[in-house]
Amino acid sequence: VRHPLMLAVRSAFQPWGAASGVQRTGPERLRAWIPAIAAAALYLLIILFQHGAATYSGVTLIFSGTVPLCAAAVAEMFVISLGDIDVGIGYFIGVCNAVAAKFLVGSPVVGVFVLAGLVAAYSMLGALIEIGKMPSILATLGASFIWLGVGLAIYPTPGGAAPNWLLTIYGSNPPFVPFPILALIGLALPAAWYVRRTRGGILLRAMGSNRAAAVGAGISPLRRRIMCYALAGVFGVIGGLAVTALADSGAPSSSGSLTLLAIAAVVLGGGEFSGGIASASGAVLGAVAVELAITFLSLINVSSSYQDGVVGIILLSVMALRVMVRGRKA
Amino acid sequence: MTVKTITRRRSAIMGVPWLWTVIGFLLEWVVLGLIAGHGMVETMDATLSYVPFLVLVAFGQMFVITLGNGNIDLSIPDVMSMSALVAVGVSGGGSGVSTLEGVVVGVIAGLVVGLINSIGILALKIPPIVCTLAVGLLAESATLVWSGVVTGTVPGTLMSITSARVGGIAAITWVCVPVSCLVALLLHRTKFGRSVQAIGQNIQAARLAGINVTGTITATYLLSGGLAAISGILLAAYGGLTVDLGTPYLLMSVAAVVLGGSLISGGRSNVTGIWAGALFLSFAVTLLEVLNTGVAGQDIGEGALILALLVVMRVARPRSVRTEERG
Repeated sequence: VRHPLMLAVRSAFQPWGAASGVQRTGPERLRAWIPAIAAAALYLLIILFQHGAATYSGVTLIFSGTVPLCAAAVAEMFVISLGDIDVGIGYFIGVCNAVAAKFLVGSPVVGVFVLAGLVAAYSMLGALIEIGKMPSILATLGASFIWLGVGLAIYPTPGGAAPNWLLTIYGSNPPFVPFPILALIGLALPAAWYVRRTRGGILLRAMGSNRAAAVGAGISPLRRRIMCYALAGVFGVIGGLAVTALADSGAPSSSGSLTLLAIAAVVLGGGEFSGGIASASGAVLGAVAVELAITFLSLINVSSSYQDGVVGIILLSVMALRVMVRGRKA
Repeated sequence: MTVKTITRRRSAIMGVPWLWTVIGFLLEWVVLGLIAGHGMVETMDATLSYVPFLVLVAFGQMFVITLGNGNIDLSIPDVMSMSALVAVGVSGGGSGVSTLEGVVVGVIAGLVVGLINSIGILALKIPPIVCTLAVGLLAESATLVWSGVVTGTVPGTLMSITSARVGGIAAITWVCVPVSCLVALLLHRTKFGRSVQAIGQNIQAARLAGINVTGTITATYLLSGGLAAISGILLAAYGGLTVDLGTPYLLMSVAAVVLGGSLISGGRSNVTGIWAGALFLSFAVTLLEVLNTGVAGQDIGEGALILALLVVMRVARPRSVRTEERG
């Protein structure tokens, strides 16, 4: 059963395929728990320094800033599970933010149409990559310039505002569970359900884990790629709306930093660049861990200069840990 | 001349990996010459003064990408900024010996980053894209922290080197010509270059053939780090020291390599293509600046040009080459 094709089919069609492409036993299980443990540990650290963080309003305050990165990470998770990489998701969220801040207040119908058009454009980018046999890193880079340019054409300097309904939703205080937590669950659950439980998700992972076998089995690579990038686009739009609600304005270039952090979050969450492994909950937890690490640093008054370095150290140590775990097994 | 030889010749020309990149660059040049109204030579001259910085980092990126197996160096922009800062800090704005000291320490800083990259990739077995990204983030943090401490300006000696002109063209552009020849020799004629290509084509086969895979990969990341350091120091001397001077070069370096016809999957690269890719990208920037489209238009235009060239490169190539690339 160690035949690569068998392994590919097995990992691709496993119902739990997500965070554990191979087996859900032993040390491999740790892989799924790494982002959860990291996020929980960081949250506990924050509570130690700021007891208010454990209250309802504290949770709302701390977690509301994590939503855009979580959306970006889920979008990136779709693309990475296909074996591609998307280096344009940050600026895509930026352009969605600009469109939302420009149109959703005055002319919501136009705004919705433009946002839908952006999702369509993102799926067309997927089609272009598939038909042109382009390296995804370069195609998404080229596209990222376009997203940034369109965003800057709308708002060269920050402007606009979030529509009231968006602010109401984002500022709402549902009973027992703070809104940001609901939002994170709302991001992770549908995405996890799609990649694990639906035909489309299974085909997506099959494509990512062994393209030749998947194509041989009759899967249309073009349709899968379009679907994958369309989903990334949808989550990009959600991220754009979250940024709009948080900032109450449109500032397209400020979302650029989300790209690298989203890639980091997916990797922390158990994703593999070889494709075929998709974990939505892992991506969301990875994103939360990254954001909490940054929050914690600012809480203990560490200069923002150290932020990137800490993200780098977390990335390196988690990856090294994962390899050690895998190495012991093999 | 039979029909067969004509077809063969035609496919030989069409098979040149950087053909469409050169055509694209020539088109940009002509359009620029026509609309800028300064003449073709002047526009070329203006662009040539900042092409070398991109060419140098792209050489390093090219060797890394040629390794295949997902190898890519995302720490390049951070090394550029860090080494520039270190060089300025160590030389302390002095001249002569202290300048040399600064440059040497700056380059060593770049080599150290390359070494850390290779340790992470080889010993810790971290995927190169994550490893170089994370190490780059560390270098970026170090740069930001040091920038609060470092005082001093770019040494005058360095500034006079980057602003020197020979025969009407920037001196460093001239220097890049023999450097390119050396890099081509290194890639195609030396044991190191051939090992890099062999690893990119099939790492198992390369290992079985007795190639020192670990040593070659380490040397490649050291080379990339060193070249990024040199380029960063020169760029600071040319355009002034900022903590984010390397930022555009992250993706520009990858773009120059791929638009130059090297395979992103590794195993096959060419030095001429790097120049074609770098000229195409630099002329795109100049062209859009001259068109005065504003920041927004410039970004959109740059993205559209890159995507358009990618489409043309892939669609217009002979079937035989395309099938080869897919496999």
